[in-house]
Amino acid sequence: MSEPAASRSLTDYDPGAFFCELTGRHGSEAGQKELIRARLDGINTATLMQRAREAENELFNLGITFTVYTDKDAIDRILPFDVIPRILTSAEWRHIESGVTQRVAALNHFLWDIYHDQKILKDDVIPRDLVLGNANYRPEMQGLDPPCGTYIHINGTDIVRDRSGTFRVLEDNGRAPSGVSYVVENRHLMQRAFPDLMRGLKVRPVSDYGERLVGKLREVAPAGVDDPSIVLLSPGVYNSAYFEHIFLAREMGVPLVEGRDLIVENDKVYMRTLAGLQVVHVIYRRINDDFLDPEAFNKESMLGVAGLMRAARKGNLTLANAVGTGVADDKAVYAYVPKLIRYYLSEDPILENVETHICGTDEGLAYTLDHLAELVVKPVGESGGYGIVVGPKASQIEIEACRRQIEADPANFISQPMIDLSVCPTLIDGSVEARHVDLRPYAVTGRSTWVLPGGLTRVALKKGSLIVNSSQGGGTKDTWVLEESGP
Amino acid sequence: MSLLSRYAEDLFWLARYIERASNLARIIETHMAYDRGRDEDVSWAWLVTLHADQERFAKSYGDASFANVIRFYVADMENPGSVRFSLRAARENARALRAVIPTEMWNHLNEFYNRILIVSDAELEPIRLWRTCAQIKDGCYAQIGVAESTLYRDEGWRFFHLGLMLERADQTSRLLDVKFAQLATGAQSSDRAGDATFWSLVLRSAAAYQAFIRLEHRAGDPSRVARFLLVNASHPRSVAYSVMQIRSMLDGLSSGYGLRQARFAQEKVDALFELLQVVGHETDLVGRLHAINDSLQRRLMDLTNELGQRFFGHPPPDTTSPNASQSQDPAPSQSQSQTST
Repeated sequence: MSEPAASRSLTDYDPGAFFCELTGRHGSEAGQKELIRARLDGINTATLMQRAREAENELFNLGITFTVYTDKDAIDRILPFDVIPRILTSAEWRHIESGVTQRVAALNHFLWDIYHDQKILKDDVIPRDLVLGNANYRPEMQGLDPPCGTYIHINGTDIVRDRSGTFRVLEDNGRAPSGVSYVVENRHLMQRAFPDLMRGLKVRPVSDYGERLVGKLREVAPAGVDDPSIVLLSPGVYNSAYFEHIFLAREMGVPLVEGRDLIVENDKVYMRTLAGLQVVHVIYRRINDDFLDPEAFNKESMLGVAGLMRAARKGNLTLANAVGTGVADDKAVYAYVPKLIRYYLSEDPILENVETHICGTDEGLAYTLDHLAELVVKPVGESGGYGIVVGPKASQIEIEACRRQIEADPANFISQPMIDLSVCPTLIDGSVEARHVDLRPYAVTGRSTWVLPGGLTRVALKKGSLIVNSSQGGGTKDTWVLEESGP
Repeated sequence: MSLLSRYAEDLFWLARYIERASNLARIIETHMAYDRGRDEDVSWAWLVTLHADQERFAKSYGDASFANVIRFYVADMENPGSVRFSLRAARENARALRAVIPTEMWNHLNEFYNRILIVSDAELEPIRLWRTCAQIKDGCYAQIGVAESTLYRDEGWRFFHLGLMLERADQTSRLLDVKFAQLATGAQSSDRAGDATFWSLVLRSAAAYQAFIRLEHRAGDPSRVARFLLVNASHPRSVAYSVMQIRSMLDGLSSGYGLRQARFAQEKVDALFELLQVVGHETDLVGRLHAINDSLQRRLMDLTNELGQRFFGHPPPDTTSPNASQSQDPAPSQSQSQTST
């Protein structure tokens, strides 16, 4: 029954020295991955390419796109999608799930503390200046008590896997992490395109994300509100993540509103409906702190709604995520998260950090400048993969330019050893090659935390590249979390 | 919770733009299919008149040759009256509605729009134009069908239907007006007045030929054609049918959703009905047709403004400037006189 070797898709696949998410054996459930590997191998590359083309057409037709606006036109683009899924065994997932839950709990405790008694600063666990001097620390939040003590309702944790297969957290995203719509849509796409690959497998579902999210947001409604009115606040159709806003509002069954649809009167938020103004209790907002409320923050903002902060301070409105969470996902504060976990939860961290040198400290700065060629240097305030210098891959000129930048403003940089991210088989120009991946699980927190099984797997499509951000040539994959194998 | 006002407005315009594209495509299609052998230059200038676009057209094209008129009305993205522009506007409205309309509605429109976006020059050649327009028309019908089959029947559905019916009444009235004007002034007027082909074309342009011929058995009587398209209660594209639908939607908004402000629009609908009653008894319908259509279109526009003001949060219309519409309609001036000179 076996097909000729030439038509098999994995014949020439070579992960090299990196840990492979499909073929790198780990733990007792390797058998499940082996079944998928064998099935994948049995689909020849021509078929894979055909299905990949169809999948991309489908994404375009369904409008699972981001839109680039020019003066005259709106051009729809899809985010590159790779049809070969990334697999996580149930044991791998249990580890990630508990680690993410622990981390989010610590970050929420930390945020409550720094906006209330600031015990952690008094105990000198983290430098006072790093917190209070942080541009994302919002004094407006001091003394405000968000329901359930939850500040970060939706969190994305960027996790990588090193050469040994150890999972490590690279970054926390506690402001408005994006990408979850792709997790769900990628799954729907795969179910249509690869029923043969999935047959008989127990892959944990992801399509209930919207329902779960709205359930968690109901938990954090303002005190005394039993049946809260929930909306999703978007900057509007010109935002590059607009598709995700549509997706979330649709799946949650809540109105997708823009700033112009809301108004604050007597410290309460209202929405403009056909029947007049109707009160709003919870806003899942996809507008940054700066632009959220021109009365409290950036006065020039046309996207926000004047008075939202007033309503939140009066306890009439829950904002998800809360204002001022940016201080917790800061790249320098990140280095202290293992300490935060020990301090607030008296537990050891389940997921490890990547070793981090803070250039704002003397020893961190000295170490970084001495080892620039081996380190990855990241600006603290940037996201989206911008401004990162990967020492081992940079030219001498780039390294010297980086040195001057660090010396000019040390507090704005951190450095980390280069992690050889794990790889996944990926369809590239008609052959299956190893490409580096990361993972962003999404944790949703109301009274307690629920983690969407899997998350977004981002893949660096450029050969050898370690930067998976879509703005830097990254694509996505479906992520399959396998259920426990039966007895 | 009641519907976001913005959603109601976007649904209203989504339907209007689809209906507009559909009418234009059908008119071109029927003229391609049934009006062969005429002088093309003469037969196509009227389309520019139909949409009161003479000025805009002359600015970018000059002469009303077949190729120019077709390009202007099918492909030209700069022309707010073109099929492509209307479909893009429909899609932009749908994009803002994606969280609330069924995915089927968005998916169909998105695929349809992407297909029309790549219509080639060759598909606008006389030999293929009929097929191209049939495709557009069918796409629009299907779009309305998807809404009919999937859209939740709340206030939003009623605004979608209001948009559809308002546009339809306006288009039918305008078609009649321009065709009668064409007769009165065209070089061939004398030989066309009693021409059954001419009147059957008018009927086909409103998808009304078959129903009309079943009732009347001959198509050559201008007065009966006009009466049918204006006041027949059963033809889905007649003005009277559309206005009845509008009334029923407004009644639903008022009684079913407690939206009392619908009464302002209901008053405008009453005025429309009064006018149609006059039409039913008019003995010189052909002679009075232009005046009747003029007031019809003015009242339809009043109705649109009333909806904008009472439901969509627009300020009252500025009476000093007759063309200043508060709506998102980029081609609002069409109710102005279409009298040929």
